[in-house]
Amino acid sequence: MMPSSPFLCVITDDALCPVSLAEQVLTGGASMIQLRHKNASGSQLFSWAVEIRKRCKPYHALCIINDRVDIAMASHADGVHLGQQDMPAEAARKILGNNSIIGVSASSLGEAMQAEKDGADYIGFGHIFPTVSKKKEYAPLGTETLRKAADGLSLPIVAIGGIDLENAASIISSGASGIAVISAVIRASDPSFAAHQLVCAIKKNRS
Amino acid sequence: MKHKQQKKAPLPRLYLISSGDENADIGTLLLNQLHLLPRSHPCIIQIREKKLTAKKLLILAQQAQAIELPEGTLLLMNERVDLAIAASLDGVHLPENACSVKTMRGIAPGLIYGCSIHSPSALRIAEESGAEYLLFGPVFDTPSKRKYGAPQGLEKLGAICRQTSLPVFALGGVNQKNALLCMAEGAYGIATLSLFRDSARFAQTIEELYLLLNP
Repeated sequence: MMPSSPFLCVITDDALCPVSLAEQVLTGGASMIQLRHKNASGSQLFSWAVEIRKRCKPYHALCIINDRVDIAMASHADGVHLGQQDMPAEAARKILGNNSIIGVSASSLGEAMQAEKDGADYIGFGHIFPTVSKKKEYAPLGTETLRKAADGLSLPIVAIGGIDLENAASIISSGASGIAVISAVIRASDPSFAAHQLVCAIKKNRS
Repeated sequence: MKHKQQKKAPLPRLYLISSGDENADIGTLLLNQLHLLPRSHPCIIQIREKKLTAKKLLILAQQAQAIELPEGTLLLMNERVDLAIAASLDGVHLPENACSVKTMRGIAPGLIYGCSIHSPSALRIAEESGAEYLLFGPVFDTPSKRKYGAPQGLEKLGAICRQTSLPVFALGGVNQKNALLCMAEGAYGIATLSLFRDSARFAQTIEELYLLLNP
């Protein structure tokens, strides 16, 4: 089951130990951890996934694995997050069954609608603002496009890309269910506190 | 269990690893060569294309699976159990730094699992984990593995083969001239990647190796 809106998702980064990062942001209030590490070996990913899942449990937070459906299954993670170049959601759903969460990255309304059709549980939508975490070939989508996507889709949207303390609230008021961040927490001297501040910023917006 | 028994038929002795050269043009090389496989010579084919995204790898695996291959041929995917399941392949080959066979068999029990090993300690781990075959190498000098140092040599191949009852495939610089040396050391079969690089001689080379390995 998806976390209740509004929520914070933290995506791990190649530069930090994913397990210790997860531990810190969970205490700060993150509801979803996405394990994403493109250069790690399969056995390394698997052991991180097992550890992160263990740490998510007491917080009722979700542990989501980027790209590797097999590692998600083997580690009993809550689900997978699939990019446009990963296994299609439809194929992943056949393997995972209905109890696992499948998120799909979309950078346009068209991709988002397709993901909804393919059986995704949430859409990772972005990048909304300019970002330093990932090299991008296209311009930021902006909150207007985010609003259009939120209006056009029935699935929860997790917005990503350049989200920080200043603009986090505008993301939620534009219709997203959650925010996903990398830099905003890993570049902070205290990732736990940075996560806590982001959670406060998006929850305040609800009232 | 019944399904597993079926797969206990002896493994083919010739093991082909895809070139790793496939790029945006999804798998033209591999697919063309699968069509060229001599009808009466089953072999093991491992799809190992590190440059392809998971999306393209899945399409390639599905296309390979759709080709009518010689009876007894096994199609394996390198490491990605999820893609092997999605494309209904026969099994998975796990590199030394991948998840263990035991872990992966837990999510996909019906598949064949093999492991790369480079040392006696890796052999123990693979055996205990439930591997069904082993790839050991590089036995001879091969350009793609030079950066890892000197080849392991025939003696180490022999030592590994004597320590296990699992079928061991010799990998790395193996060709028609030295294949029998590997077999004399106790190898079950040979594995090659370079075969996929020469389309013109592909079928003939398979023929020659097949006769050497299945006298």
